Order: sequence, then C-alpha cells, then structure tokens
Amino acid sequence: MRRRNTIGLAAFSGITALVLAACGGSSGSPSPGPSSAGFNAAISSTVNPSTHKGGTITFNLTTWQDSMDPGGTYYASNWNFTRYYATPLMTYPSCQGSCGLHLVPALATAPGTPSSNNTVWTYHIKSGMKFSDGQPITSADVKYAVMRTFAKEVLPGGPVYFQNLLAGNAASYKGPYKDKGKDLTSVTTPNSTTVVFHLNKPFADFNYVAAIPQTAPVPKNKDTGASYQLNPVSSGPYKVQSATLNKTFVLVPNPNWNPAMDPAVHQYASKIILNINPNANDIDNRLIAGDIQMDAAGTGVQSAARAKIVTNPTLKASSDDPVTGFMWFIYQDTQVPPLTNVHCRMAIEYAANKTTLQDAYGGPYQGSIATTAMPPNVIGYKHFDLYNAGSHPGGDTAAAKQQLSLCGKPNGFSIGMAYRSDRPRDTSAAQALQAALAPVGIKVSLHGFPSGTYFTNFAGVPKYMTTHGIGLATGGWGPDWPDAYGWGWALFDGKAIVPAGNTNIGALNDPVVNNLFLKLEAATSASAQATISGQIDMQLMKDAVIVPAVYAKALLYRSSALTNIMVQPYYGMYNYGTLGTK
Amino acid sequence: MTAPLEAPADAAPETVLAGMGAKAIEGRSLGQIAWMRLRRDKVAMAGGVVIIALILIAIFGPFFVQDPTVFHPNLINSTLSTPNGAFGGISAAHPLGVEPQTGRDMLARVVNGARVSLTIAFLATALAVGIGVVMGIIAGYFGGWTDSVIARLMDIFLAFPLLVFAIALVGVMPSSAFGLSGNGLRIWLLIFIIGFFAWPYMGRIIRGQTLSLREREFVDAARSMGARGPYVLFRELLPNLWGPILVYSTLLIPTNILFEAALSYLGVGIIPPQPAWGGMLSDAVTGGFYAIDPMFMLIPGLAIFITVLAFNLFGDGLRDALDPRSR
Repeated sequence: MRRRNTIGLAAFSGITALVLAACGGSSGSPSPGPSSAGFNAAISSTVNPSTHKGGTITFNLTTWQDSMDPGGTYYASNWNFTRYYATPLMTYPSCQGSCGLHLVPALATAPGTPSSNNTVWTYHIKSGMKFSDGQPITSADVKYAVMRTFAKEVLPGGPVYFQNLLAGNAASYKGPYKDKGKDLTSVTTPNSTTVVFHLNKPFADFNYVAAIPQTAPVPKNKDTGASYQLNPVSSGPYKVQSATLNKTFVLVPNPNWNPAMDPAVHQYASKIILNINPNANDIDNRLIAGDIQMDAAGTGVQSAARAKIVTNPTLKASSDDPVTGFMWFIYQDTQVPPLTNVHCRMAIEYAANKTTLQDAYGGPYQGSIATTAMPPNVIGYKHFDLYNAGSHPGGDTAAAKQQLSLCGKPNGFSIGMAYRSDRPRDTSAAQALQAALAPVGIKVSLHGFPSGTYFTNFAGVPKYMTTHGIGLATGGWGPDWPDAYGWGWALFDGKAIVPAGNTNIGALNDPVVNNLFLKLEAATSASAQATISGQIDMQLMKDAVIVPAVYAKALLYRSSALTNIMVQPYYGMYNYGTLGTK
Repeated sequence: MTAPLEAPADAAPETVLAGMGAKAIEGRSLGQIAWMRLRRDKVAMAGGVVIIALILIAIFGPFFVQDPTVFHPNLINSTLSTPNGAFGGISAAHPLGVEPQTGRDMLARVVNGARVSLTIAFLATALAVGIGVVMGIIAGYFGGWTDSVIARLMDIFLAFPLLVFAIALVGVMPSSAFGLSGNGLRIWLLIFIIGFFAWPYMGRIIRGQTLSLREREFVDAARSMGARGPYVLFRELLPNLWGPILVYSTLLIPTNILFEAALSYLGVGIIPPQPAWGGMLSDAVTGGFYAIDPMFMLIPGLAIFITVLAFNLFGDGLRDALDPRSR
C-alpha cells in the first residue's frame, strides 16, 4: 500500500486558524491571498488569485507516468493531474492546511453513507452530468470503471483496495476484458444515480478509497483497454486533444463540463500541455527561465537548482518548501535482542543525532526534523518531543547512557542495521546513525540490500531480521490517505505482521496500539478520530518503535506566469486543478 | 620512443665500446637488457614511480590520516549540506576538503580507499594470473582435446554476463560466511568474482605463447632427454613466459581497479562507512552533489584516473622493454 511517490501532506507550518478560516467555504474559489508573493506564500494562501481565462500551461516530466489512465496510476502527482479529465466520487478540496485533508464530494452528491457496521457504502452521483463526448454519466459508468481496475493485465498499476475490500466474487473476478459478460457482484447500481459497494469487512475509511481516481466514470462503449490512457473520455474540466505515448499529452477545455460537477477544479487555461523531458536539471532551468510553468512530478527541484534558489533571494521568494506527506525514519525491531527491551530502544532514540540524519536526507529544505511517529499531514497530529530532539539535536548522550543502564547494557551492545544500498539517502542515513550511536557504545554493523527485494527478502522478513541480529532498518512511508489508519495501520498494527513483505518491520504487537486502531476503525466523529490518532502517535513513541528522522519536504519553484497557485496539503505539491495563467 | 639497445649497424665497433665506457664487455642477461630499455622510457618510469608511491600510500597512508568515518557536521553548510569554504572545504586540517552532508575528511577517505581498491585489484589479478597461466600453459602444450575443452571453457567465461552475476551474487550472499563477516567477507568475495572471471584473458595469451614455444628446439631437446610434461611445463616453458605474464598482469590491474569501482558504484562493492573509490564516486553522482560540489566527484575520479593511467603506462613500457618487436 505504499504510494510510489511522495504523497500529499499538510502544510507543516501552515495549519493555522487563518488557513482554516480561509477555506471554510464549500466552494473551491481562490481564498484571498497577498498579491506580492514570498517564500512559502502558496502554503498559506493562494498566490496570484485570478479568474482570467485563456493561455497555455506547459508541464514537463522526466518520464511518462505509470499510466495516464485514471484506473491505473499510483503516483501522487498523477492523482493530482488526472483531475483535469477524471472526476472521482470524492476528492481532496482545493484549500490549505488541515482543510485540504478532509474529503469533499466530487462526482457524488455527498460522502458515502455506510451501513451500521461500515460494510455497505452507498453513493449518489450528481444528475445531468455529461462526458466530453456528450453521453450522460451514470452510476453504471462508475461501476464499470471499478470493474476494469481488476484487469491487472490491462492496468498493472494503481492501488488494489477494491480487490482487497470488495465482497462477492471480487477475489476471483478478472476484469471485464477476460471475464466478458461476468458481473462484479459486490458493486450494484439500483438506479442510474446510485452506486453501492459491498465490502468483505468493516472499513470506516472507505470514502478515502472512493477518492482514488479509479472511481472516475469510464463509458464502456469508449473503453479501449490498455490504450485508453491516450484517449480517455473526460469527466473533468479538460479533455484530451492529442496524446503520444512517452512524449506528449495535450488537454483543451471540455465543452460538456459543468462546473457544478467538481467545485475543487477550474477551467481557466485554454490549453494544458504535458511534455516528457528526460533531463531533470533541464526541467528546473526551463522552469526558472519561464519556458515552462510546472514540473509535473511535484517532488521538488534537483540539488543544482536548489542551491541556486535558496541562495538567491529573488528566486527564493518564488518558491515553496512544503512537507510532502512522506516521512523518513529508522525502524527498531522489537523482536531482535537486545532491542526487545524498550530501554535499549530508548537509548537509540536519545543517542540519534537528528542533525546528521537531516543532512543525510538532504538538509533542511528536504526535510524538517521529526519527533513523532506520524507526519504533520495526518489528521490528529500534534507536536511532541519525548526524546529531547529539540534541546539536544546532536543526541542526548547522558540520557542514552541512563537508558542503557536500565536496559542492563551499561557499556552498549552490537546490532545490525539494514538499508537499501542503491538509495543514496538510505545509505547516508545508515552511516549517520552508525556514527551517532558509536559514542554511547552501541556498535552498528551495516547490511545493504537492493531496494527491489528489501521488503520481500530482507527487512520485510521478520525471521531474517532475528536470525541475522538486524534490529534497525531504514524506511520511509507516505500514506494513501491522511488519517492515522491510512498512515500507520500497516506500519504498527500487530495484525499487519506477515512472514514476508512485512511493513511492520518493528514487529510491534502492542495490545494498547492494536486496541487504539480498533477504536479508530469504529470511530464516528472527526474529533474522536483525531484524539485516538494522537494517542496512537504518543504510544508508538513511548514504545520507541521507530526513530523519526525527518518529515520530507520538497522545494517547489512557483512560475510567475501562473495564477491561483496553492499547495494542496494532501498532495504536498501545487494543486494542478485550479491553475490558470496570465 | 624507440630506445635502441643495439648501436646502429653502421657504427664502428670502437664507437660502441667507447659508448660503454672503458669497462670490459660483460655478458648481459635478458632481464638486464629489458631493465636498460625500461629505464630509458621516461613515461613508463614515471608510471612506475606513481605506482610505488600509491602502494606506499595504501600500506602506510591510513596510519597518518584522520579517521575516515568521523562526521564533522560543523564543517557543513546547514542549508545546502555542502562543505563550508571553497573547493569542497579545503583547509589546513582537511587538505582535500570534506564530504558534503557528513563532513568526513576527503584525504582520509581517498587514502583508505586506495588500500581497499588496490588490495582487491592486486589479489584479484594474482588469482586471475594464477588460474590463467596454469590453464593456458596446459592448453597450449598438450593441445588436442585438452586444448579444446579449456578453450571452450574460456569462451564460456568470456561470454558470461559478469556484472549481472556479480550483482546477483553479492545480493544473495549472507552477511557472514566462512568465518568472515561484513567487509572482510565482502572484500574476499569481490576478489573472487573479479579474479575468477578475468583469468581467460591471461589464459588465451599464455596459450598462444606456449603454442609457439613448444615447437622450439630447447623443448624438443628436453623431451628427447626424457623430460615429462610437468617438468617441461614448469621448468622449460614457464621461465620463458615471465615476460608476457608480467606485462599482462600490469595491464590487468587497472582493469580490475575499474571493475571494483564499477561494483562499488552500483552499490554491491564495499560496505560503508569503509571508503572505496568507486563508492565515493557513486555517492557524488547519485546524491546529486557533483553539480554543486564538483570536488566531491573530482577527487575519487582523479584517484582512479591517475592509478589506471600509471599502471597502463608502466605496463606498455614494460611490454616494449621485454618484447620490442610487439610494438
């Protein structure tokens, strides 16, 4: 369930009352912002608000996305981009701070209504809506869109929540291409505006699944299978004018689009071009020179451009450095002696040098020092600092030694550490932690593994970790949706431990945490959800199951030609759907 | 570049004698002649001096430099993670500057990297030469089906996708085996991989030389006096093969240095924080720091460049000296 790219995240510095007030309205119209922008201006306000129509916006991207088909893409940047031509049932609103994390209906009239035990979810779609070819959009088109995501031979990318969650014949269903004429029984359409999902277990977060572009309607009579990504029928403000695989993707306004369909997006520019440009440094240079307006990847500029931007006040004033939603950390395996003792784990928490870890992950523009087990974009996040990272960013040696005594290892111990040797940041972080733990007597031996098999054969295999004495492992995570369940269940719940491909690398099976996740599944109010999420976060840090390194950030350059630019906190990048140009 | 050993044909014998000084004419061995030729090849000698210097640095250097694994976060720009100061933070305390992100001393890392890179290159070459000479000499001398089998074996080894194999092998290798663990195991593994797959190059050359040598009169003479295979191979043929063995060993070493660097670059070489040249180069490139701190890439790059160039120049000179006709 890992998003392959950094995914959205709350504006770290921007969750303020001001922002909440600014996006209190239900419409996605630009919130008033300063006309003179500055560093991080788009995190807390909308820069260059305007309703001017016309002009061309050019995006560049180093490689073609996994698929331009809304049913087959798992990149955060593409979930953002596909909103131009694909409207899912639910969507993330175009506003900042925690407002941008709470879903709003898009194609649906309202969030899904669950049955009493959260196993049946019903959505009503807006009536009178049309595809770009003039056909009316019906609930059958939503069902068909979901059905085709089962055809992994046609749409190999994309999340698999429907395959895992739906009841009925979902486990054996092969999609509408192979299983012609067969029905997916767990999705029903009682009438042309109602679609009902029957799940195989209670799932309180299903609205987040409905916000994945996979629920955007696809008309069966226009589906061309694997090549549908080049000529998708639009349900959004733009439609495809021309597309060439691995080269270019050109969008023009969709005349049949009704602004009521999705208030979170606009139809300001008269043309949107996405070109593939394999040279990332060239993309940065063109962006700064004004030849193009956006790097579609949304993961920030390269190191050369970063050095240029942060040292030049003019350029810096045209940039934003939001937290992306991703977080880098080091797992502590609770099953590997002596880390079975919480005090030995706490010793590592205290001794870790957060400054060198931050440098390893690229410095302050690439990440801010993390002290919690959840990143700030997760609903319910509250800042706290159990292990003195604030007062001792270089490591609290005295406290670490005290914990070592409590653990019964006053002179330290030896422990193995796994990392992905083909990932420079992992390699740097492993060495930084090794150097930081040496002074308190904790001797770390490094074990590098290829990232392709890291979870399947090594760090993700609890038995491998225990038999080889590897108690530490580098890791990173971006949630598929921004609540504690979407963020942390796979990382920290005891039921998530599996013999291979394990994501709960700490092998944490703390009944307190497990119970809190159960309570979260059953929570009905947003405030209860937030409270429980905060309790989970606190308990995880008391268990010292991860050493938080940094909340990842991305330095984005804001083109002066664009209007209505804001950072969408869930995506952790500029919101593409609202953009216009001067 | 020609360094004529013999005086020109038209020169009078007296001139030659005068050129040799007043000393009596002595018989000179082939080795002495070759050494004379080599000494006059200034480029090769320069290469040789650099090689000796590198070997001394590799052996003794690590005792004189700082600990290559100690971080110096105070020398790093807190915003950009690049070294403070010009040219990668060059200062009296850090003559080659420091690494971005970590602030580790570059001189210490290059010197320690030399030890690892050269150890692997030398031992891998010794392994390749050992196997190559034995196989080549046997194939060349006995001929027939022995030759066919060994020649096909060489073809198989030469056609083997070595890089892919190396990456796979290092990936599946346990972290400890044969009583070794960590870098101790990794270094021997690299030596084995590099050496075991480089021997056919040496084997082919030795086989060719043996083929021509075995028809020579001294071999016939030995055989007619009753010498058996092993005696002929190792007492009659081998001494005549030292020339090519020496030359191609010298030329194999830089290839192996580059191969080790390539493996470290791909992340299957030496385990950090132990420095290795290829790994340092890889850090500079993959971390993207080469664009803002070129010294980070330049220093390990230059170390590899100088070493490979020195070995190649010396090897070329050695070949010219031992076998002037081959030019």
